[in-house]
Amino acid sequence: MLGYIWQYFYTSFFRFWLKWILRQVTGKCELQRICSGYKQGAPRTSRAEYSLESSKSKALRSAVSVDEDQVEKCVVAIMQEKNIHSQKDPTFKANLRVCIFQITGYKKLYNSVENLRKEVFDSENKAHEDMLLKLWNLLKPSVKLESRITKQWGDVGFQGDDPKTDFRGMGMLGLTNLVFFSERYTDLSQQVLSHSNHPKLGYSYAIVGINLTEMAYSLLKAGTLKPHFYNGVLGVPHLEHFHQLYCYLAYEFDKFWMEEEPTSIMEFNQYREKFQEKVKKLLEQPDVSLSLRELSDQ
Amino acid sequence: MMSPCTAPQGLLSILRKLKSSPDQEVRILLLGLDNAGKTTLLKQLASEDVSHITPTQGFNIKSVQSQGFKLNVWDIGGQRKIRPYWRNYFENTDVLIYVIDSADRKRFEETGQELAELLEEEKLSGVPVLVFANKQDLMTAAPAAEIAEGLNLHTIRDRIWQIQACSAVTSEGVQDGMTWVCKNIATRKK
Repeated sequence: MLGYIWQYFYTSFFRFWLKWILRQVTGKCELQRICSGYKQGAPRTSRAEYSLESSKSKALRSAVSVDEDQVEKCVVAIMQEKNIHSQKDPTFKANLRVCIFQITGYKKLYNSVENLRKEVFDSENKAHEDMLLKLWNLLKPSVKLESRITKQWGDVGFQGDDPKTDFRGMGMLGLTNLVFFSERYTDLSQQVLSHSNHPKLGYSYAIVGINLTEMAYSLLKAGTLKPHFYNGVLGVPHLEHFHQLYCYLAYEFDKFWMEEEPTSIMEFNQYREKFQEKVKKLLEQPDVSLSLRELSDQ
Repeated sequence: MMSPCTAPQGLLSILRKLKSSPDQEVRILLLGLDNAGKTTLLKQLASEDVSHITPTQGFNIKSVQSQGFKLNVWDIGGQRKIRPYWRNYFENTDVLIYVIDSADRKRFEETGQELAELLEEEKLSGVPVLVFANKQDLMTAAPAAEIAEGLNLHTIRDRIWQIQACSAVTSEGVQDGMTWVCKNIATRKK
């Protein structure tokens, strides 16, 4: 309760006066202090985002949702509004530009991910079908798929003899993630697949993958992934960056599962929860970047 | 016929029942083939968003307050690989809800077999069964009567049962089924 009262007074009164005093003392506005005082990446961009969103000026507030081609104009408008001169603060413009690209880029990334998720897997669509067969060939290059509808799909962890019903609420996002992992990190994905066929610790590779897509998606939607993308992508993040994050989750979850040695697959949801908490903890660190890239980029 | 003192006693027992009923916990088991719609049904019962469902590895459980009961609903994955685990969840089940994808005609036989095996299980003997003929929102869905006939439900003699047409996605028919469930827990638990 006290916390709420403090929060209220802070955001509506103290913050304003504190900013005013700091401005008089340092001669710089809050955005300038953020851009020069904090490291590039999440420490700077998260603060800039908060500052812009809670600003009283419309020019600043709208900066968090401008289109990519309007960013330059937006930065100029902010500098005018705040009376900032490039001669006095030469790095400000470039720094703020990166921040705004990152902030608006995250929102755009969510939209692209959401669109792909909403695309339902359709057996009549050749591109979808080709992608599914590609997944098989990447995971099982030495085994021929006997027919499109076959029990063999169970070997890569689909539930029945036709994977089309397994993508559910994740749609083409789920399949795209699976294919990306296998294409970019072929050896790693085959290694994870072989773990999933472990006689005691086995799990359904594809189904667990689709569940991890859901994890990545909900973390993105909740904004929890902001620090990761602000640190990892110094500009506009794209779908590929989201797929990279999926690869990290797929690889790390497998490692976690094998180490934890659950008694059976029936415990999946408890361990999924535990793993997600672990990832969220990592995402609280200011310099977080969840990446597989250094490990083996083939 | 009625003696003057029965009325207040009856009232007292009703009051007592009203007081104790919210605490009554009920164990409901949700089974059926993969892609039948069990998790969507579970989320619908808990009034949660049903647009991000993924296939269930293992199980989900949710507690739902309904008509004076606390329903602990266990949604167990329906994939063939994990059906052998179903039996681990039989104990103390008050009501079995069996979910069928009414549009998946190719697997009517398979789902009928699984249901028949469940009804043979000793730990589930006498447990009331509600069959949800799900996905009625799809054009190709078979009507509930046709499914009941295909599954030979009318030959069930050792328990009360009901078939309910529904769509877990639109929630149509779900409440009717749950009303039947709650009515039949009451008679069983007395």
